Amino acid sequence: MRAHVFDTMGTVVSLTLPDSPAAEAAVAEATRQFRLFDERYSLYRSDSELARVASGEIPLTAASDELRSTYAAALQWRDATGGSFTPHRPDGVVDLNGTVKALAMQAAADTLLDSGFSDWCLNAGGDVLCAGHQPDGTAWRVGVVDPADRGSLLFAISVESPRRAVATSGTAERGDHIWLATAIDSTYVQATVVADDIETADVLATAIVAGGPSALASIVERWSVDVLTVAPDGSLRATPGLTAALVTEEKERDGELGSRHGHGVPARCEIDSPVAKPL
Amino acid sequence: MTIRATLGGIFASVAILVVGWQAGSAAVTSANSTSSATRPGSSTTTGTPAATPSAAGAPATAATQATSAAPAKAAASGSFTGSDTNTPFGNVQVQVVVSNGKITDVKALHLTDSGGRSVQISNYAVPILKSEVLQSQSVNVSSVGGATYTSDAYLTSLQAALTKAGL
Repeated sequence: MRAHVFDTMGTVVSLTLPDSPAAEAAVAEATRQFRLFDERYSLYRSDSELARVASGEIPLTAASDELRSTYAAALQWRDATGGSFTPHRPDGVVDLNGTVKALAMQAAADTLLDSGFSDWCLNAGGDVLCAGHQPDGTAWRVGVVDPADRGSLLFAISVESPRRAVATSGTAERGDHIWLATAIDSTYVQATVVADDIETADVLATAIVAGGPSALASIVERWSVDVLTVAPDGSLRATPGLTAALVTEEKERDGELGSRHGHGVPARCEIDSPVAKPL
Repeated sequence: MTIRATLGGIFASVAILVVGWQAGSAAVTSANSTSSATRPGSSTTTGTPAATPSAAGAPATAATQATSAAPAKAAASGSFTGSDTNTPFGNVQVQVVVSNGKITDVKALHLTDSGGRSVQISNYAVPILKSEVLQSQSVNVSSVGGATYTSDAYLTSLQAALTKAGL
């Protein structure tokens, strides 16, 4: 079990895969999927198709089918979230960053599954998509950073099919391209959404941070997702499903989260204290 | 006619649950707001859909005012209020409206949540203490999520620490 790390889309992707002769090729293919999306949609590359649409060089109507369908899907998300999620920057530029990273993650996931990898954990800039189990047969565990202290975890959940996508959106770091036509709600500084697919998780996490309590209430009612929100004062809210998935001392003691198969090498890492230092 | 009456009864029961449940969650929200007065960010969240309570709530209010209108013994007519009953979803008190010996309406007068239990039947996000979400000082995790970090910020992230630690 090893974490393969590569830079893409202005962030870092970690792909944890079991050791295998095919691992390097699988990582290369996953990397390529991210690059393909970045090359088409990055607004930081003046030669990307979306950048050329933004500059007016290519009319949207003349853009590729892929770009237009990605845009159409983003507009559907905008409508579905009552505008809390939007692919439009305040200056009117179409920015698909809100969905493209998730789409790239899904594309990379598809190539992994196609090449026979059924157990892996993919982390793209803080959004996590897992498949299968850890080598010892236990569920993947995803920790989420405390927005008030990036060096510590706020909570950890076990991730099992079908809820295998964990996306977190927040105002603390990059902003996640949270825009609203109206003022951005400031009720939540961070929202984590656990869903069956990473696109839903990512979009809804953004929508909850941008749309505040009304977006949260509407989303948990209409989508089958688990949510945990963090307010500026650190107070938390969680849906029952998320609370049930939490890794707690009691569950660890009761062995609920223990090994199902009782063999294999645990691929785990202890985080006793923030050990991260600038390189 | 029997089928229609039965269906009507089922519908009424569902409506009661919906009204009661929303009343219950409203109570939870206000209860939590008071208990956490020092947390400005935690009050008045979890809005309920505005349309449902007003649609279903109006007749209930009207009937409540007509409570205890002459309960008769022979061909019973009027409103009968039950005692406060403990249920898995909180305390419930219902009022039954009877017309010529037949139940014509059932209303939930009172539904309070006890210990946050009623929320388990819904997918509401309810307040939870930080001490409840992370109890261990050290937690084994496979991956660390969080708001999107840049390539630079990754270097100082927990995920980077995790990777460097040899996962």
